[in-house]
This record gives sequence, structure tokens and C-alpha cells, in this order.
Amino acid sequence: MGTGISLLILVPLLPLLTVFLVLIGKPATQHERAKLGVAPMAAAFLGAIATLGVIVSYGPADVRFYDPASAGTLPLPLGFRIDRLSAVMMVLIAGVGAVIYRYSVVYLYQDRGYCRFLALIGFTTFVLLCMVSSANLLMLFVCWQLLSYLLYLLAHNLSHAATLDGAFRTFTLLRVGDAAFLAGLVLAHSLYGTLEFDELFARAAATPGALLLAPGVEIGGPTAVTLLLFVGAMTKSAQVPLHIWLPRSLYAPTPVHALLHAGIINAGGFLMNRLAPLYGLSSTALHVAFVVGSLTAILGAAMMLAQNDIKKTLGFSTIGQMGYMIMECGLGAFSLAIFHLIAHGLFKATVFLNCGNVIHKARQEPVLPPVARPPEQAELSRLAWTTGFVTTLLIPLLILLVTHGILRIPIRDSQGTVIFLFFSWVTSSQAILTLTRLRAVASWKVSAAMLATLLVVVFTYLFAAESFTTFLYPDPGETASYFRAAALPGLLFDGLVAMTTLLIVLGWFFLYARTRGQPVRVPAWAEWGHSHLYVLFMNRLYLDELYAKLGLAVTRGADRLDRWSWGRMS
Amino acid sequence: MTSWATALLPVVATPVLGAVLGLLLWGNPRVLKVWGLLVAAASLLAVCWSFGSLSAAGEGLPFLLLPPLGAFVSLLGQPAHRSNQTAWLLTLLLLGIGLGALAGEGPLGQILLLLVLALVALLLSVQRALPEPAAWWGIGTLGLGVLSLATTLFAVSPASSLTFLVGCAIALPLVPFHQGYLAAVTGLPGNLPAFLALLLPVLGFHGLRGAIPHLPDAPAQAAVGLALTGALYGSLKALAQSRPAARIAYGNLAFLSILWWYLAETRTTPPQTAVYLSAVVLAGGGLLLAWYALRARYGEVDLRALSGLARPMPRFAVALSLLALAALGLPPFGVFSGLVGLLLAPSYTATGGLVVVVIAWLCASWYFFDLAHRPLFGQERTTLRHQDLRGPESASLALVIALLLMLGLMPSRLFESGPAPFQRTVTLEPPAWTK
Repeated sequence: MGTGISLLILVPLLPLLTVFLVLIGKPATQHERAKLGVAPMAAAFLGAIATLGVIVSYGPADVRFYDPASAGTLPLPLGFRIDRLSAVMMVLIAGVGAVIYRYSVVYLYQDRGYCRFLALIGFTTFVLLCMVSSANLLMLFVCWQLLSYLLYLLAHNLSHAATLDGAFRTFTLLRVGDAAFLAGLVLAHSLYGTLEFDELFARAAATPGALLLAPGVEIGGPTAVTLLLFVGAMTKSAQVPLHIWLPRSLYAPTPVHALLHAGIINAGGFLMNRLAPLYGLSSTALHVAFVVGSLTAILGAAMMLAQNDIKKTLGFSTIGQMGYMIMECGLGAFSLAIFHLIAHGLFKATVFLNCGNVIHKARQEPVLPPVARPPEQAELSRLAWTTGFVTTLLIPLLILLVTHGILRIPIRDSQGTVIFLFFSWVTSSQAILTLTRLRAVASWKVSAAMLATLLVVVFTYLFAAESFTTFLYPDPGETASYFRAAALPGLLFDGLVAMTTLLIVLGWFFLYARTRGQPVRVPAWAEWGHSHLYVLFMNRLYLDELYAKLGLAVTRGADRLDRWSWGRMS
Repeated sequence: MTSWATALLPVVATPVLGAVLGLLLWGNPRVLKVWGLLVAAASLLAVCWSFGSLSAAGEGLPFLLLPPLGAFVSLLGQPAHRSNQTAWLLTLLLLGIGLGALAGEGPLGQILLLLVLALVALLLSVQRALPEPAAWWGIGTLGLGVLSLATTLFAVSPASSLTFLVGCAIALPLVPFHQGYLAAVTGLPGNLPAFLALLLPVLGFHGLRGAIPHLPDAPAQAAVGLALTGALYGSLKALAQSRPAARIAYGNLAFLSILWWYLAETRTTPPQTAVYLSAVVLAGGGLLLAWYALRARYGEVDLRALSGLARPMPRFAVALSLLALAALGLPPFGVFSGLVGLLLAPSYTATGGLVVVVIAWLCASWYFFDLAHRPLFGQERTTLRHQDLRGPESASLALVIALLLMLGLMPSRLFESGPAPFQRTVTLEPPAWTK
């Protein structure tokens, strides 16, 4: 088995073979070489699936090319630690990477940067695979930084001014996260004397330590380390206010977007999961993650609604989803975050890869003027509304009562269960609203669609919560400890749940009234706020301008210093 | 003659004699360049051959090989032109004296360091390529270094210790004694800036290595303060520079200030310090060489005047990108490994200074990255005639990149410390400082 386990490390290396195939050779044969490059990518995917099978059967695999005791003298302690989390991520990355590469071979054909982009896709897949299977925090950090640079390369087109500007800003902003990561890494090593994951977690749990920021101001060791590392996660996963690089990179080729939105951007969620035992030691860090994630989810979704460019809309949709993912981590639901990032990754990759087809079809097929149709009547269907009411309000309430009363699950003491139930309710309500739009189609089809949606969502959540959590974190005590660490103060938690529930129910009534054609009285201040918020969100909170001014202020300060020092010398 | 003196002789004599004999080839630049390369290679071999007997060379063989390697790569990329001949011979001369300072024991090492500073000051005063105040400040600072080192030879402790530290702070630049280094890196002709960007800090570090463990609290704290100020000052100044050479010089000042901070904060010189220093000076030297290749084509231009070189000059684009990445501290190059090695060394415990270090490291991602980003990408200037790197230029930059990669990947124990140099001459008594 030892040799077999050693062979697992070939999986991350296979995409590198594709890079060499693409880059080495005559220009005349580049398309043939590119097609040949599909084989190693596909092999990496199959290898990742095999790895998952091996890991599930035999447990985590460790392959280290260094002695952990003397890792300090090595510039790069190269090693691989493949556990279930790594294996799942490897399947996702290798799978998405292989599909995107295969797609790009045709899609980018005759593009000026054909070889460059294909090689970059292969290399990025390689770095991502190495990152998720890193044996220690230092190797993870090395891959993390390489990703920052790769994003710069992927996001720009050599001579296009807008992409250049965006790529430069992307890199500088991502480096802010890298710098925070470096500080967190150094602090972790300084406090616990190791960067090996298991040992780090064990030492941090045994002797958490503390940092004295100022006389009388102390911060726990795990909190300081995790907060710094969280800034790194914020930049890669585009969390507000460090998200502005993502919409700026939208000039990149479509397959690059697919890779970006399905693979690279998940790095933050992966990092938090990989360091879950450390985050589990710091309630403060988890609460900060919850706040940042919630803000990102809300603002990302709000900005998405106000964009008038399809790619920007997709970009902000990703930001919102990433906020959701980080919020899940902040709530202690680490496995749900992974489930979410897989689902989102597959969905976004499909959407982006389909963009090409849509554009291609639009170019090939004649475009006829739209046929005049009578406007859709917004009538009320009592059947649709009754089903909607039953599926989104009554059935969840029934489930809640059954869970609490018959199954005797202490909901009041378990924020995790409440969060889980709450999310499943919000998701099913949202899905029903989006899919059926509660229009006047008074048929059993709409009602059946609502019920099916509810069942799919509930079963998906059940699967995610139970099977996936047990799969990723087999120790139930560990999962419970994360929920405990993430628990918000009772009153705040109840208030948040109540407020969100109230908002959703109010939304329902608002929609109901509008669909029935009843006048809805909106206060003047709400109308004023609505129009101003729309402008604010359309302009992406003016954060781009704010960062530009900040950059300008720094360069002006530097110029003044330069002039001042010259003046002094003269 | 002692054994170390016997070993030192070929190390010093090879490049110095090479420089003298080079005068005979003055009329033929092509032959003179080949001669210079041969002498640098011979110096490399001489260092390898004598290393076992050079007890003062405590930083390990790779560190001692840096100056001859630096001389070799800086000469290799030079166009064979009459205007560069003086710089080549001076490179060999400085190499000989520098190697003597590195390998020499006791006062000899200090005298040779003094000679290097004096020679650079003299060159600056003859050259006068810099604007008035910068040139005079540079010459003045180097003169102060010469004076300080001369005083060290005759004064007694603690005055001698203080003057010696000042001498080291001029070679391994520490604000406010950094003007000499800046002038040398920005104001000399030919390959001299690239070579001196490497040689001066190496000499300063070598001198400091012996003194730092005995540094008492008060001066150490002062050095920590100055180093952190220097790291921020260098970073901000680098941001404001539009001339590549000045930007590289200030960037290197910021990175070398981090080394000063580390040395003064921990008062130790683990092997990672040598790795870090070697990588920083090599990356800086490499960027200067790359810049020299551009200057040879387009003259002394502003960074903003160039764009879109990536397509017409692919070899140059790759080399410059890799050098910039190495200089700003991205893996797998030596600057990153060195810095992380320093911060993860057992002798270091996280302090407030880490914040400044991280900020300085972050700033480099801005100014060093812009150094590559601006000329390489964007609209191609069709009014300019482009020519990609020639063979020797490519080889020279490729060698620097390979060295940076090696520094990033090889274990730091190869730079394992030996006995500290100059210990017999400089004695720093802690109580004397605190009085």
C-alpha cells in the first residue's frame, strides 16, 4: 500500500505534464499538442477519483519529502497530506480543470494567446491540486501566493489597457491577503513552533497563548492567527471590502472565468475548512467570518441585481455566493461550506462554459425581431398561493414541531440545528419564488413544482448535513464543537432569526398584495432609500473609486516624501 | 606566513592581477571582455580551492562565491564596447579587494573594506553622473565610512565599535547612512552598479556578523528603530521613483533594512540571514542588469516611456518578469525563502516590527511589480526599434535567475555559520554601551 499511496502524489503532477506538452514544440503543431494535453488532465481527474476511493478505504495518506523536525532549515518543506477534504477538493478541481481545458482547446483555437492560456489553465490546476493536498501551512502558503500571480496572468490580455489595469489591481489587492497570511503564518509558528497541521492544532488547543497588543489589551493566540489568515481568505474568496478584483477581471476569456469562479475563488473556503480545528478555538474569528460573510452575501446579491452587464452580474453573483460560503464557515457549518462551494463551482462552470455556446449560436443563427406578444397578465391563482403558503410556511413549521416535540432534538440549545433548518427553509422559499414566480398558472403543475422544489431542497440539505458532514468530519464531537464555538449570544441569534423570518414573510405578503393588484403603501423614505441604494449598488458602493483614491494618496505621499528629501539634500 | 594568508593570496591576487594584465588588452574590447570573464571564473575556482583554509569566511562557501559570481554575470551581459572597459577592470579590482575583505582576518579585512569604500567614493567623484546633491551626499557618506573604518583601526572600545558599526552601515545600507550605497548603484557606469549592489552589502554583512552578537541593548534598539524607518522610507521612496535604477536601489534599501532589523532585534546571524542577503542582492543586481539591457537599446528613459515590450522581446519579458517576481518575494525564489527562513528561525519571536516588515514586503509587490508590468505590457510602441536580448545578455540574466532559484530551493544549512570574523579586533562590551 505504501507505494500505492506514494503514487497518489502523481495526481497533482499530471496537469504539469499538460503544461509541458502545450509549451514545448513548434507553433505549427500547437493544436495537436494541445489536444494531446487533454489526456493528462483527464488522467488527473480519474486519479483524483481513485484517490478519493483509496482515502475512504484506507484513511489519510501522508507523503513528506522532509523531516518535520528539521523543516525550519528547508525553504520549502514539500509534502502531501491527502485526507477526505483534500480528496474531495481534488476531484472537484481536477474534474473542472479537465472539462475547462478540453473546452478551451476548441474555444481558444486561433486565439493569439492560445498556448499561453492553455498552459496557464494546466498550471493553475496543478497549483490548486498542490494547495489542497499540502502537508503543512508553509507549502499551502507557497501555493496560495502562486495563485495570486496566476490570477494576474489569467486575468489579462497582453495589450488590452482595461485588462492590464484590472490585472495589476487584482495582484496588488491579492497581495494584501498574502501579506496578512504571512503575518498569520509567522505568528502561528512563533506561538506554537510548528506549521504541520495536526501538530499545530494540537499545540494551539493545549496552550493557546495570548498576544499583548497594548498595555491591558490582550488577544488570544488562535484568534490573532485565524483573523490574519482570514484576511487572506477574504481576498481570494472576494469578500467585502476586498472583493473589487473579481468584477475587474471580467475581460478574461470565458474558460478562464469558469476556472476562476469554479476553482480559484473557493480557496478561502478551503483554507477555513483546512484550519477548522484552529478556527474552532476562536469564537471571535468565527463571528468575524459570520459578519463579513453575511455582509458579502447581502451586498453581493444587492449589487448583482443592480448591474447592467451580464458578466458583472455573474461576477457579483459569485461574490454573494462566496459570502454565503464564508458565512457558513462563520456559523461553524464547515462541511456545508464545502458542499456549497462544490455545488456553486459546478453550477458556475456550466454557466460560463455555456456562454460560449450562446455567443456562438447568436453569431451563427439569424436574429429576427421579437414577435409581439400580449403582456403577461399578473393575476392571482389561489391554488398556486395556497400551495406556496403550505410548502414554505406550514410544512417547515410542521417539521420544526416534529423535530422538537417528537424527535426530541433540543432546538433551543442547538444553534447549528436551527441554522440548518432555517437555511433549508430560506432556500426552498427562494427557489419556489424564483421558479414559479407565483404567476396565474392555476394548475397542478405549479403546485407539484413547488412541492418537488421543497423536497429537493430538504433532501439536499439532509444529505449535505448528514452524509457529507459525516464524510468530511467523521467525529460528531468535532462538528458539535465548531457549532459551539460559533454560537452567537442567545438573544442576538434569536433576534437575527426572527428579523430574517419577518423580512421573508413580509416579502411574501408584499408580493401577494402586488399580485392581487392591491395598492401597497410604501413610505416616502423607503422610496427615497430604494432609489439611492439602487444608484449606490449600481456603482458598486463606489469602492473602486475609494481604492483608486487610496492608491493615489499613497503615491502622492511618496512623491511628497521624495521631494522633501531632495529639498533637504539640496 | 600563516596558512590562511597563504590561502588568501590566490583569492585576492587572481582578480587584482587579472585587472592589471587586462590593461595590456585595452585596445580590444572583445578580448578584454573575454579576459574579464576568464579572470572572474578563475577567481571562482580560487575561492573554491582555498575555502578550506579561509577560517574567516564563516558564512559558508556559497556566500564567498557570490562576489566572483556577481562579477561574472555582470560582465557577461555587457556589450563589448570601449566605453565599458574601465568598468570591467574596476570590477576585477574591486572583486579582488572585496574577496580579501571577506576572507581576511583581523585588521586586514577592515583595511580592505575601507579600500573598497574609498575606491567607490573616488569613482563617484570622477564620474559625476548623478545630480549635484546626490553625488556629494554619496561621496560624503562613503568618505564617512572610510573615516569610520580608519578610526576603528586606531581607536579603543567602545569608540572603535561604534565607528566600525557606522562603516558597516554604509556598506550594508542603513538609514541615514544609505546615500553612499544609493549613489554607487545609480551613478556609476557599465556593470559597476549591478556588481556593487551585490558586493557592498555582502561586505557590510560580513563585518556586522562578528559584531552583532555582542551588541548591547541601547545601540541595538537604535538600530531596530533605524532599520524599521529605513524599511518604510525605502519602500515609499521606491514608489515615487520613475527611473528604474533608483527604484531598484530604494527597493533594495527597504529589503536590506529588514535584514538590519532582524540582526539588531535577535542579535543572531542564523544561516537564513546569509540566504536572504544573497537573494536580495542577486535579485537587485539582476534587475539592474535587465535595466542595463534596456538602457543599451533606448537610452536613459523613464519607465513611463516604455510599454508593450512583451511581444517583440519575449526573452527579455520572461527574464524581467521572473527577476521582478524574485525581487518582490514570491516563491520559489530566494528572497521569499530567505525572508520566511528568517521569520521562522528559532531565534525569532514575533514582535511589533513584524507589521512594518510585512508592510515593506507588501509595498514591493507594488513598485517591483510595476517595474516589470509597465514596460512589458500595454500598447506596443511602433516608433521604437525593438531587439530582443542577445545571447550573452540572456545567459547572464538566466544565470541570475537560476541562482535565485537555487537559493530558494537549497537548504539554508549550506550557509552554516563558522567562526565570526573581526572578533579579535572589535570587542563590544555591553556595560560600556549602557554608561
